[in-house]
Amino acid sequence: MVNDIFTFLVGGKAGEGVKKAGSVAAHIFASIGQRVFQMDDYMSLIRGGHNFSIVSTSTRWISSYYMKADLLVNFDKRSCETHINDLADGGLIIYNSDELEDVDGVGIPFSSEAEKYPMKNLMYGVGAVAILASAIGFKKEQMNESIKNQYPRGIEDNVKFANTIYDMVKGGCQGKFLLTKGEKVRPIITGNESISLGAIAGGLDTYFGYPMTPASSILHFLAKQTENFGLAVVHAESELAVINMAIGSTFTGARSMVGTSGGGFALMTEGISLAGITEAPILIVLSQRPGPATGVPTYTEQADLSFALSAGHGDFLRIVASPGTIEDSYYLTAEMLDLVWKFQTPGILLTEKHLSECSMTIDIDVDKAKWAKPKMYQGENYKRYHNAEDGISPMLFPPSKEVIKWNSYEHDEFGVTTENAEMIAKMHDKRNKKLKALVEYLKSQYTVNIIRGEMNTNLFAYGSTYMSVLEALRYGGLNPTIVQPIFLSPLPTWELAEFKNQDNIVIEQSSTGQFTTLLKEKARLKIRTTIKKYDGRPFDPIELSKKIKEVLQ
Amino acid sequence: MEDLKTYAEVTWCPGCGNFGIFTAIRNAIPLLEQRGIKRENIVMTAGIGCHAKMFDYLNLSGIYSLHGREITTASGFKISNPNLKVITFSGDGSGLGEGLAHTLFAAKRNMDITMILHNNGVYALTTGQFSPLTQEGWKGPSTPKGSFEIPFNPISLLIEVGATFVARCYAGEVKHLTNTLVKAIEHEGFSFIEILQPAMPYHKWEEFKDNIEYIDNNGKSKDEVLKIARQAHRFTIGIFYQEIREVYHKSLYGSFNPVKNSMSREKRLEKINLILKP
Repeated sequence: MVNDIFTFLVGGKAGEGVKKAGSVAAHIFASIGQRVFQMDDYMSLIRGGHNFSIVSTSTRWISSYYMKADLLVNFDKRSCETHINDLADGGLIIYNSDELEDVDGVGIPFSSEAEKYPMKNLMYGVGAVAILASAIGFKKEQMNESIKNQYPRGIEDNVKFANTIYDMVKGGCQGKFLLTKGEKVRPIITGNESISLGAIAGGLDTYFGYPMTPASSILHFLAKQTENFGLAVVHAESELAVINMAIGSTFTGARSMVGTSGGGFALMTEGISLAGITEAPILIVLSQRPGPATGVPTYTEQADLSFALSAGHGDFLRIVASPGTIEDSYYLTAEMLDLVWKFQTPGILLTEKHLSECSMTIDIDVDKAKWAKPKMYQGENYKRYHNAEDGISPMLFPPSKEVIKWNSYEHDEFGVTTENAEMIAKMHDKRNKKLKALVEYLKSQYTVNIIRGEMNTNLFAYGSTYMSVLEALRYGGLNPTIVQPIFLSPLPTWELAEFKNQDNIVIEQSSTGQFTTLLKEKARLKIRTTIKKYDGRPFDPIELSKKIKEVLQ
Repeated sequence: MEDLKTYAEVTWCPGCGNFGIFTAIRNAIPLLEQRGIKRENIVMTAGIGCHAKMFDYLNLSGIYSLHGREITTASGFKISNPNLKVITFSGDGSGLGEGLAHTLFAAKRNMDITMILHNNGVYALTTGQFSPLTQEGWKGPSTPKGSFEIPFNPISLLIEVGATFVARCYAGEVKHLTNTLVKAIEHEGFSFIEILQPAMPYHKWEEFKDNIEYIDNNGKSKDEVLKIARQAHRFTIGIFYQEIREVYHKSLYGSFNPVKNSMSREKRLEKINLILKP
């Protein structure tokens, strides 16, 4: 085992319950009070191919999976060949003896055993859970309990199959990786679930989406929660419809959010610009995947940062922030919802596939979420775009005796179209005042996460890369200062000023170093070097710690 | 402003068909009020084009939307607060060009909004290019040799995809237009009115006036109506089709109202805690 961490990897074809087996493993670890980090690696297909799920667990907080697995369960030849080098020292390979022989590990005839059951494809995952149960020293009763809870369809067959595999794997596997009981049983959620719950806590009323990996699971989660929380969740015809419906929704006073990835976000930019001039409080979740264009749909990258910072034509205030952990996603989504309503402008919650779709055990203080509430207008003769001191015009929603006009054309204070030179400039100034007000407000907020270290070098990372960096440093026993800007627009330069001329290193998942450029240009930071990864895969803590060590010399 | 006009300077060309539509909608709203619809519940969106100037002139709440997106903005109103009566002003370019997909989907969903399609058969505001409803042979700046695409038939198209109230009116018949507007806005479901109107630099009133005729018989089934709609002269006006079908927001959440019944913070947090119970 790597330090005090146990890693379980299960791999096979899509449709064999790989992801589910990973998720059941995560729940088993969590049920004994361990901390968990789970990552699913899957291809953009429905059946076949090669998928794997990898779960690392420890009694301490863990913020990444490890690619070196202690227990490696492969349902087919391809998986075994793919992962043969992913075995940790002292680890154990379980392979499908119907497809392979002469592997240094324990062979299980998965195919011929599964063949005996009507739901044969789904039995593989159950088998993986049985192997895990044996390896971590679960008694049969304990295993059967987990199987019954996690695989409610066809319980009898599942339990029977699990017991067969459990008996088969005994020699060489049973009790090989006994785990310590942790101090507390915690829930496991994905980043997208955390974002969704944060939005609900912040006051979400309506959500609009068009399916696009890796943001789709927000749409799915919220659609399921419609009745529970009294939401309207709509799957519209395109991202163009999505963003414009959401803007229409905010006009009625509904707190609305949309979610998408690169290409869908590109379509939304027209509407983001509309939100800029109409001053619509709209929150957009942008979950990045490798681009350009369709790119690599089910993998991760951080290459939409510069696009997000300037999304939409024209001058207007965009708030962009990125959560560093799954837990922070909850608070930050609620905070962003609050901010877009406070400042009546579009906000982008920037994240990645890695955060969106990974699962973690979490400790969330639910009550700490912010609550979005606009500044409301009292009285008569309402003017939607009243030129207030801070640029923030109080709001009113229909039905109202007052006439409320939001306008995509440049407009006067009432909201009627204008081409008057003086008015055009005045309205630009009015909207620009909101940036000043926002910066003043953010100065009192937690905008940059700084973990002070004892070395002379500072590591900069944003988004889910922060989790990878933390784990790499822990693995490598390194303690430089870590700086994780949560807000990227406006970039909290007031917090970053102290690092200007220090030794700074950036770690990011962009081939051109977009985050590095941002720090150089906006915060005037000297950056010695950037550690990049842009193959669609997240950083592995062991590899990353080596790279960090190299540059720390 | 009792006559429903704002202070905005009206910039339609003198004699424009839009004046007739402007008059009709200002006549229709008091009639709707008499029939129990409160004015403050009526909200509107508009696309971009000559039709959309209506937004500046009409003293009602709403969003001056983007070109083609007026239907989606309007859908956003209705989904979030179903108590609102939602009218979207659209044009042949906006609603059937840039926003065609949105129009078809709003009809498919039976979104409870009224779409008023100002059909002047041309992109007037951008200097006279052919539109999705322009007849073949139009010599505009983008088709100097004459356009060679066939126009849509908006009436049969909208009936086909699921609109539950489909009518054609004429900007020169204000009384008929007013009455049809009242019926369309009162209709629960997606109501669509195509309004024939001249754009002064490009057409003459006579081209319309001389050809206008009322539908004489209504089909009983959707198939019959479609047949009539396909065969009818493009100047045929009247209500072509009306049916009752469950509206989108009711299928989505029944009698709920996301804005009015928005859950309290305490209740939400309580439920989130339940979800997060390990």
